[in-house]
Amino acid sequence: MELYVPILVLAVLAAGFAVFSVAIAPITGPRRWNRAKLDAYECGIEPTPQPVGGGRFPLKYMITAMLFIVFDIEIIFLYPWAVAFDQLGVFGLVEMVLFIVTVLVAYAYVWRRKGLDWD
Amino acid sequence: MNLMLAPVPAGPSLADFGKDPLWISIIKAVFIFVFLLLSVMFGVWMERKLISRMQNRYGPNRAGKFGLLQSVADAVKMGLKEDLLPRTVDKVLYTVAPIILVVPAFMAFSIIPFGPMVSMFGVETPLQLTDLPVAVLFVLAMASIGVYGIVLMGWSSRSPYAVLGGLRSSAQVVSYEIAMGLSFVGVFLFAGTLSTSEIVAAQADGGTWEIAGLSIPLPSWYVVLLIPSFLIYAITMLGETNRVPFDLPEGEGELVGGYQTEYSSSLKFALIQMGEYVNVFTVSAVSITLFFGGWRAPWPISMWDGANVGWWPMLWFFIKLVLVFSCFIWVRASLPRIRYDQLMAFGWKVLIPLNLAWIMLVATVRAFRVEDANRGVIFTLAAIVLIGCFGIWFRFDTVLQRRRENRAAEVEAEFEQLRDEPEAGGFPVPPLDLPHYHGADRKEVPSGSN
Amino acid sequence: MNGIQPPTIEYGQLMPLLLVFGAAIVGVLIEAFAPRYLRKAIHVPLTMLTLLGAFGLVIVQVLRDGVPTAAVAMGAIAVDGPSLFIWGVILVLSVVSVLLINDDDNFVASAAAVPGSPDEEEAIARGGAHTEVYPLALFAIGGMMLFAASNDLLIMFVGLEVMSLPLYLLCGLARRRRLLSQESSVKYFLLGAFSSAFFLYGMAMIYGYAGTVDLGGINDALGRVGGQDTLLYLGTALLGVGLFFKIGAAPFQAWKPDVYQGAPTPITALMASGTLVAAFGAVLRVFWVALGNLDWDWRPVMWGIAILTMIVGAILAITQTDIKRMLAYSSIAHAGFLLTGVIATGEATQNANSLSALLFYLLAYGITTVGAFAVVTMVRDAGGEAGHLSRWAGLGKRSPALAGIFAFFLLAFAGIPLTSGFFGKYAVFAAAVAGGALPLVVVGVVSSAIAAFFYVRVIVLMFFSEPAADGPTIAVPSAGTAAVVALAAAATVVLGVYPQPVFDLADAAASSLFVR
Repeated sequence: MELYVPILVLAVLAAGFAVFSVAIAPITGPRRWNRAKLDAYECGIEPTPQPVGGGRFPLKYMITAMLFIVFDIEIIFLYPWAVAFDQLGVFGLVEMVLFIVTVLVAYAYVWRRKGLDWD
Repeated sequence: MNLMLAPVPAGPSLADFGKDPLWISIIKAVFIFVFLLLSVMFGVWMERKLISRMQNRYGPNRAGKFGLLQSVADAVKMGLKEDLLPRTVDKVLYTVAPIILVVPAFMAFSIIPFGPMVSMFGVETPLQLTDLPVAVLFVLAMASIGVYGIVLMGWSSRSPYAVLGGLRSSAQVVSYEIAMGLSFVGVFLFAGTLSTSEIVAAQADGGTWEIAGLSIPLPSWYVVLLIPSFLIYAITMLGETNRVPFDLPEGEGELVGGYQTEYSSSLKFALIQMGEYVNVFTVSAVSITLFFGGWRAPWPISMWDGANVGWWPMLWFFIKLVLVFSCFIWVRASLPRIRYDQLMAFGWKVLIPLNLAWIMLVATVRAFRVEDANRGVIFTLAAIVLIGCFGIWFRFDTVLQRRRENRAAEVEAEFEQLRDEPEAGGFPVPPLDLPHYHGADRKEVPSGSN
Repeated sequence: MNGIQPPTIEYGQLMPLLLVFGAAIVGVLIEAFAPRYLRKAIHVPLTMLTLLGAFGLVIVQVLRDGVPTAAVAMGAIAVDGPSLFIWGVILVLSVVSVLLINDDDNFVASAAAVPGSPDEEEAIARGGAHTEVYPLALFAIGGMMLFAASNDLLIMFVGLEVMSLPLYLLCGLARRRRLLSQESSVKYFLLGAFSSAFFLYGMAMIYGYAGTVDLGGINDALGRVGGQDTLLYLGTALLGVGLFFKIGAAPFQAWKPDVYQGAPTPITALMASGTLVAAFGAVLRVFWVALGNLDWDWRPVMWGIAILTMIVGAILAITQTDIKRMLAYSSIAHAGFLLTGVIATGEATQNANSLSALLFYLLAYGITTVGAFAVVTMVRDAGGEAGHLSRWAGLGKRSPALAGIFAFFLLAFAGIPLTSGFFGKYAVFAAAVAGGALPLVVVGVVSSAIAAFFYVRVIVLMFFSEPAADGPTIAVPSAGTAAVVALAAAATVVLGVYPQPVFDLADAAASSLFVR
């Protein structure tokens, strides 16, 4: 656990600095009220009303997020395998080829169904 | 003649960490913190100056010698700007998001090795805040948490530009994070560890190649051994930090400022900019650690005995950092921004398959070196995989070929039709091949047919 | 460096499992690369051959090596007698269900199109079809096999998810009444995700108690670890919730009627038979192997659940007006009957008796269920299957053969002698009596009688009511559907008249109990 203490020290420093900056910003700056300034910026036109809670966004991003999870898990499997590769030897190679091929099958499916295309 | 280098002193390993007293940790943490603050200031100045010179301009040259104080002036100016809080924003997330962006960016630097063991106020300690058995994973984790800052910034702003910018940026960062994570695997295969100090140590000595009584030192930096990994990492570095040519989230042409649109140029905005710069330095430092031998001196200098001991390596590290950062600027000056679909297609369809293929190649080669390995199995496996790849390639190649032929035939048909009846294109035009236009023997090509 | 040893994996014994999963992956490849018009033509033989091949492998394994006595894959998977029997049952039921799935009228043309939208009409006109059904079904079947054969909780969880996730999706693919189908899919998914979370949390608790997720290891820890009983009881309860959800025991049965009704009927058949078998395999493993020495503590709760399940299933079934919902409640009641067998533990011989009875019951009930749902697919209205019971009135006069077979299946559910259901129930109740659960058996017999009432009501409706003027048409069955009905009817008769060979087989499979 001692290994993590210095990270904590740095985190406290950085967080202190960030919180300080955010907190002090309204104090150091001037305050001149203007209705237009408080509107969302849309190049000067009336801002589009945004639904409470954020509203909908394109499904594409969700698919990207799902694919990211799939591949991130693959990476998490690859790291310990890479570190211990010399001990696992041929067995490790065979199993990893099987695993990657399995993931690639899903990848090929997504690719062919245009899951990786943006229009 | 022996080109052998000076004997390599052993660098610190994982066992050397976790022994510092708290005050040493605090000194190191403060040093890293101040170093990053100054680097951001210096980096902003350097980027503006360098890119100006590349574009035949002067760049900042008013505040201080060579405009060096420009960043300080900017920082003070931002502090004195009005801090707007637009009416529609989600106030809590809007305020917290920049902090979420910045803090992990700083924390990621804690496992970057700056140098070997030194004596600091009488305490033997490595020039590195700390090291973990999973150090590189920690960097990736911090990068992922930083994405939260971006998403929340866009989400809490409640304006179309900001939401789109946030979504785009997060999709881009996660896409390139996969390629980034995969490009590390080659390094781990060689180094056999995730700890940064041990990866640096593993790059100390590449061994020698004995041939004809001559011992030639082999390259020890992974940038040479694993060039594809490094190239992919270099590309993902740009994508991961939203830098040109992948700076879509802030594509000012279409999205104004992307996720930071609603942040007025107050200290919050300064914080966001700082977070982005610190991220640039982090990925640069990681590239140096994993691929450029870390703090170790490059070849001609490393022939000197004292190059890799004491405080000198910090200098080599800084020089490498500045050089890598300069490359960021160089790229920014040279390349245009790419389209979003190209960006995603490149990340998903090119970088990831290439990366996986390369990892498998490296692993296969390494499996050969394992003693009493069953080579028949390896050969069979490699053959099956290759045949599979070839089969898929063949399948798609014929499809593409057919598609190309169809397209060519279509163009040809259209060409024929337009030649016979030019008005088929929708316009009442006189036939272009009338002899009186350019003379009777001149071959005419209708426009718009290819 | 640390000594990481490559594990040993007994590929031979895992072959049926690997074959099913491998074929599922190949199926995904076919989806990716085969042209649309060829896909079904490749999928059907691939899926059937895989399932038959896996079944063949199970038989070969039993004939050649007998019953293995040690867990494989470093103790992660137990290919023991009960596993092999359950694998065989699941594979047989899957083959039959896949025959039903082949009828492409049951699946939606484009699942992504909003129901009733122009997109949907276009997809139908184009003749689109989701051939993904086949690989998804194979994944689900593979998951069932893994679920029932897992020897540690982690693998069991993986099996649970691999089994459930494709099923959630398949439930939403009905061609007609798509909103109902999608609703069932979402309900199943949300509730299933809940129950998986319960299972996972219970697993964490048990791990906290025992320090291992290995089933045998947990059992050893029961005698060794003291003073952590809260963790153990909480973990047992949460694991139980996850498992009872999957078998549809009350009070976790709420999903069953909705899902059975909304899902495409062939998928309902697969779920009602295969999932139940697999889930009971897992229930037995968790409660007999891992928590076997804790039976004094879980038995009272299990009593309550079994009684509640039988009564809720039987009574609520009476009020149903939809044939699929009625079959769903009947399935809940049958889960209750099966639970009486799970409770009937004791000495090793008693355990073997109960286990053998349960295995027989699962086979008999599963095959009859698939047959019943196959009949449901054939009775059609203009808008698809005629679900409402009033539409079934007078079916016996229009189509005596079909109505007769359906009536026979219903009698088998009720446990009338000369059907497979009778011997199944008899065996389980006999084992329960021997295990000292006499009151439970009384409740079981009473609820059987209640259940018989609504089965008979349907029969009366079919044969003694006047057919409606615009009554449903009986679709001419495709060869596959006809084969399913014939096979199920034959199996129900054979198991009802001459069950001894299968009993012997189940005895042999159960004699060595579970490996630890």
